[in-house]
Amino acid sequence: MKIGVTKFPGTNNEQDVLRTLSSFGVEGVLICEKDTDKLKDLNALIIAGGFSFGDYLRPGIIAAKTAIMQELPKFVEQGNFVIGICNGFQILCETRILPGVLTTNRSTKFVSRWVYVKINKSNSVLLRNSANKIWRIPIAHFDGNYYATNEQIAELKKKNQIALQYSDEGGVISENSNPNGSMDNIAGITNKEGNVLGLMPHPERASFNYLGSEDGRTIFQNLIEELK
Amino acid sequence: MVLVLEKLYSGKAKDVITLDDEKVKIVFRNSISAFDGVKVDELKGKGEANCKISKLLFEILNHYGIETHYLKQESKNELICKKVEIIPVESVCRNITAGSFCRRYGVEKGVPFKKPIVELFYKNDELHDPLVTEEVAIRLGWINEKENIIIKAVTLAVNYILVEVFKKIGLILVDFKLEFGRTTDGKLILADEISADTMRLWEENSGEIKDKDRYRKDLGSVVDHYNDIAFRLEQIKELPKIELKTKVRVTIDLKSSVLDPAGDITFRSLLRLGYKQVSKVNIGKSIVISFTSVPGSKLWDVTETISNEILANPLIETYSIDFSFE
Repeated sequence: MKIGVTKFPGTNNEQDVLRTLSSFGVEGVLICEKDTDKLKDLNALIIAGGFSFGDYLRPGIIAAKTAIMQELPKFVEQGNFVIGICNGFQILCETRILPGVLTTNRSTKFVSRWVYVKINKSNSVLLRNSANKIWRIPIAHFDGNYYATNEQIAELKKKNQIALQYSDEGGVISENSNPNGSMDNIAGITNKEGNVLGLMPHPERASFNYLGSEDGRTIFQNLIEELK
Repeated sequence: MVLVLEKLYSGKAKDVITLDDEKVKIVFRNSISAFDGVKVDELKGKGEANCKISKLLFEILNHYGIETHYLKQESKNELICKKVEIIPVESVCRNITAGSFCRRYGVEKGVPFKKPIVELFYKNDELHDPLVTEEVAIRLGWINEKENIIIKAVTLAVNYILVEVFKKIGLILVDFKLEFGRTTDGKLILADEISADTMRLWEENSGEIKDKDRYRKDLGSVVDHYNDIAFRLEQIKELPKIELKTKVRVTIDLKSSVLDPAGDITFRSLLRLGYKQVSKVNIGKSIVISFTSVPGSKLWDVTETISNEILANPLIETYSIDFSFE
């Protein structure tokens, strides 16, 4: 089993992801922008969070144009798993592998805090046995405000692609539990096939009890079990 | 089989003959006329001289990357060019006051402008080619917004290049006229001729007139002076090194369906500061890209690709393009 973790200039979460993987006994492989030849040996790629290339123009857009990301549609089509966390979610949207885009938080502020997300019935094995669970998980972003056209949102709902929604502790999804203005409180979505997951919250920062939560471990655990 | 060549257009000094779907032949005649056809003459060798000047100037402009219809010289008075649909608006660029500009505004002749001026004229003999504003040319459907931007920027770029080239051979470029045409695939390029009939050139040292004003003012030896321009252009061994810089501004706006938190907060701040007449604020982005090339249809396409692929996300943003060449 080989899991790649991307490192672009400005990525600052790759060590946290690697640490989580190694807690399962899996050593991840760092993947840089030109490492297209390494893709063929990978079974999964995790696009770690941060501020790739400074995120000056639009978050994720420059990374989306790198050689490695241009190869990603093929990698996804072959059925390999891809998880985009925070900036990784933004990158996946900018490559159009996932629909929609992450725009500036409604508060116009960087939001860094613990939130609750409700896990929906999902088309992805990455969220197996998690439907209706409420996770405590941290977010840290300036552009997490998910936007898509009404048609795209309808399509996401129809195919059970809205994987995570911001909620309160009891799982109630409302404006009050929306930290950034996302449409339908969307915190994460999957592609139609379910092998791509993009999410703004950081599961790797909620993977150990000493961090305050290990709810996020589920995603990594499901991934690793699926690849065994 | 007899090949029937279609005469596409017969003008005051040139004929345009269609060769095929892609190419035309432009024949430079010896006829010369002024004052809307009041004064008409045939001057031996004039067609050849203007054909040569046009060829040389088109080649020079092509060298610097300006997109023109010129392909090759066919004979002494014929050029083979790309077939284009000539647009009914011509541009005039002026470095020094002269001609109709002085009459129109009652200003003295020979006064240099701080920055070159570009004017648009409607090509219509009956109306005596009136000056038109950009707005009129666009609203009457003669050109679109994009073509207007390209025409202005290309005219200034051509001026920038030709001023330097003529300076090298001791001539002052006072003003000139350009015509543009749309290729079969809709690209706007430089067309028609660029010759001693379509520009004013003065000797740097003496101020002597070298162009069609010799004919208008009955100064004599018109063709000799035309031939001298062609001769001096031909003598240029090395074209001047010109630093070309086109500034492209891409303005990006959020679509109205998308939340604009920064705009909303600014709006509320303006209201709080007492600007009660404000009804909405939108904050977009303005990106200026400097290119080391001339403006034109190609650069427009490049800018569109960059805008679509990187600068703007079409899901949430719209963009507009503007060129400036200074």
